[in-house]
Parts: sequence; structure tokens; C-alpha cells
Amino acid sequence: MEVLFSKDNFMFMLNGAFMSLVLAVCAVFFGLILGTLGAASKLSKHRLLRWIGNIYVEVIRGTPMLLQIMFFYIAIPIIYQSLTGNRLSANPYICGLIALSINSGAYSTELIRSGIQGVEKGQWEACETIGLNYFQTMRYVILPQAFKRIIPPIVSEFITLIKDSSLISCIGARELLFSAQILGSRTFDLIGPLLVAACFYLIMTITISYISRHLERKLAESD
Amino acid sequence: MIKVKNISKQFQKVKAVNQVSLEIKKGEIVCLIGPSGSGKSTVLRCINGLEIPESGEIYIDNELLNKENQNYHQVRSKMGFVFQHFHLFPHMTVLENLTLAPIQVMKKTKEEAIVIAETYLQRVGLLDKKDEYPNKLSGGQKQRVAIARSLCMNPEIMLFDEPTSALDPEMVIEVLEVMQELAKEGMTMVVVTHEMGFAKTVADRVVFLEDGQIVEESTSEAFFSQPQTLRAQEFLKKVMH
Repeated sequence: MEVLFSKDNFMFMLNGAFMSLVLAVCAVFFGLILGTLGAASKLSKHRLLRWIGNIYVEVIRGTPMLLQIMFFYIAIPIIYQSLTGNRLSANPYICGLIALSINSGAYSTELIRSGIQGVEKGQWEACETIGLNYFQTMRYVILPQAFKRIIPPIVSEFITLIKDSSLISCIGARELLFSAQILGSRTFDLIGPLLVAACFYLIMTITISYISRHLERKLAESD
Repeated sequence: MIKVKNISKQFQKVKAVNQVSLEIKKGEIVCLIGPSGSGKSTVLRCINGLEIPESGEIYIDNELLNKENQNYHQVRSKMGFVFQHFHLFPHMTVLENLTLAPIQVMKKTKEEAIVIAETYLQRVGLLDKKDEYPNKLSGGQKQRVAIARSLCMNPEIMLFDEPTSALDPEMVIEVLEVMQELAKEGMTMVVVTHEMGFAKTVADRVVFLEDGQIVEESTSEAFFSQPQTLRAQEFLKKVMH
């Protein structure tokens, strides 16, 4: 029987934690891109785009993330095959990341939409009078102000993703929780590795929320 | 230069502007005055295209201001607009506020844009504030920066929407001085204002509105010495003590 607290096991868990963190960072990043597009369509003049934005947000927020992860894991190879004719064995990391990103995108859509709407109407008008078009106005004036405003909720979305990335262990992606389970079956100690994983999660989440509070204070100063 | 033909604008059930016609010649300084809610700001916003009137037409330099027309943006670019609440971009320095549109819209290089911006900052007396953020400026300074930002786009007409109404009394004068300078240089200006002193001394013509209609229109000299209508007389009695 292996001992739980060895250097190798520590590195093994650290690897898992790193994978969780990387997944969460990527998911927040792609989520922000999707969220910006989602917010743009929800605020669009075109009814069809608004409709697409609404359906995206409602469907993703109204179904369990675990279901979404399983769905993408099974559906992506099928879609790939029907498009290209080639078979594809699904990579759990990629499928998991896609699911996490799409999920995060729906929540970010609402955050960014409220951030954009929170920018004074006068900013739009000022841009209009000096001749900026819609995209220039968004890019240089509205989004920078909106993002500044939504940094705190985006950070809490990031923390949620670090924790929720554990859900992709169910499709076999070896992140922190899955590492703990592997270690548990190797050492015949089921509780210990879970507690170690919990510590890793806490270290990550507490550090991030500490940084976030610091950042918030900084941002408040320049207002 | 500006021709307003029978414009009307309604907000919900309220008729903000009702069949207003107005003509402003090149180089003329016209003040729109009247009690609050008289529709003077709405007329000004319609001239710029910030509001679209339900009926009537607006011509700038004999060209119809119409969203559908190809030259819409070109027509609008002839006008600068100054807001009551400045609407500077809070996340940009003063210089960035001024160079944004010249770089993005006029496709100037950054260096060219900075030269232009610094020239106008010098003229409004704020060159030393170029690297400050707007929240570090006083109200009067903000408004001068906003005027400079407009001027950077090289407009032929400047529209002012109560430019001094949000300012502390001691800052009003610095903004009015900048506007007076502009007037001297021959800029065509339309100013919605409560500053009767400015209207009296700087304006060529005064347009008095009430309830969305023009009640009286005359040279500022005639308006302030011998207002013709009873409403204008009452209004002046209240605002000139």
C-alpha cells in the first residue's frame, strides 16, 4: 500500500489542480468571448439575434452543467462525423472545455449585458456626435467601461468554474477531483485524497477572492 | 447653413416640439432660450440628429439630414455638439478623449491627432491637463475639454446644449469665454442657454420658445430691450433681476 503523503502523490495532485486551473482560465476566456457576442445579440436591434441570445442563455442556465458536459462529450464526435465523415474519439479535455466555455458564456452574457447597459446613455451620444460608428463606440468607449464594472462578478464566475470544472471528471478528464479519486483507489484511502483535493480547491479559491477584493478596492479608487 | 422646416417631435404623449421652423446663417450665433420643458434642447438635438423628428426636415448646408441618405454621416460631421453633462470618456486621459475620433474616424495618424488635440487644448487653456483623467478636472475644465474634443473634428457648426447649467457659478465664466472666442472666430453657433448675459452680449439672434413652439424671434438687442410678446416679457422679468 502506498502512503498518501509522498512527494510523488503531492505532484500528482498538484498536476490535477493545475489542470483544473487551466481549464477554468480557458473557460472564462472563451466564456467572455461568447458572452460578448451573446450580450451583443441580446442588445441587438434585430429580433432574430435577440431571440438567439435569449435561447442560448435560457437553455444553458436552465439545464444542469453535468448534463451539458455529457451531451457535448457524446454529441461532438457525432457532429464531427456527420460533417467530415471521419470518426473522432472524443477528447475529454477538449469536450469538457467546450462545455465549460459554453456554460460560462451564458452567465457572462448576462453580466456583460448588464455592464453595457450600465454605461450612461450620454457616452453613446457623445460618440455619435464625434462620428464614431457602432463598433468603434463599443470597442473604445462602452466595453472598456463595462468590463471594468463587471470584473468582480467575472472573478466570482471564475471561482465557480474552478469548482465546476470538477464535473468533467465524469467524462474522464483528469483534473483535481479525478486525480483524488485515482489516488484514493491506489492508496485504499478514500477520504484522505478528497480532503487533500478540498485543500487545493480552497487554496485556489481563497487566493483568487483575496486578489479580487484587492483589485476591487484599486478600481474603486480611480472612480 | 442650417434650415429647420416644420419639425415636430413627441415623447410619449407630450409634444416636445411642435412645428418649429428656423433658419441660421453661416457665422451666426443664435441662442435658444425659454422656460424648462419648452423644447429648446429637443430642437437642438434634432438639428444634430440625436433625436429624429416625426415630421419636418432639417437641412445642413442645403443637404437633407436623413439616416437613409448616403451622405448622412458626412452631413452630421459638420456639426459639433456640447452636452450639459460633458460626457467625457472617463477611462481615457484628456488627450485620448481628444484623439479618439480623429484617429478612428478621420483616419489620422496618432502623431497628427496629437498635434491637433494639443492645439485645441492650448486654445481652451488646458494643455497642462492633457495627461489627466476627467475625474481629476473641475466641471468648467471638463466642459472646456468637451468643447476641444468637438473642435478636433473640425466642425463648421457648434451646437451647445446648456453648456453651463451643470457648473458651479464660478466656473461658468471660463466656459463662456471659450465660447465667446469661438464666436469671434466666426463659428456658426446654436446655443441653448439660461445665461441671459451671454445671449445678450454674444448672440446675434435670440429665439424664445415655449411649449414646443417659437414664440418670439429677434435680434438679441431688440429681444432684451423690447420683447414683443407678453410671454417673453414675463419670462425676462423672472430671469433678469
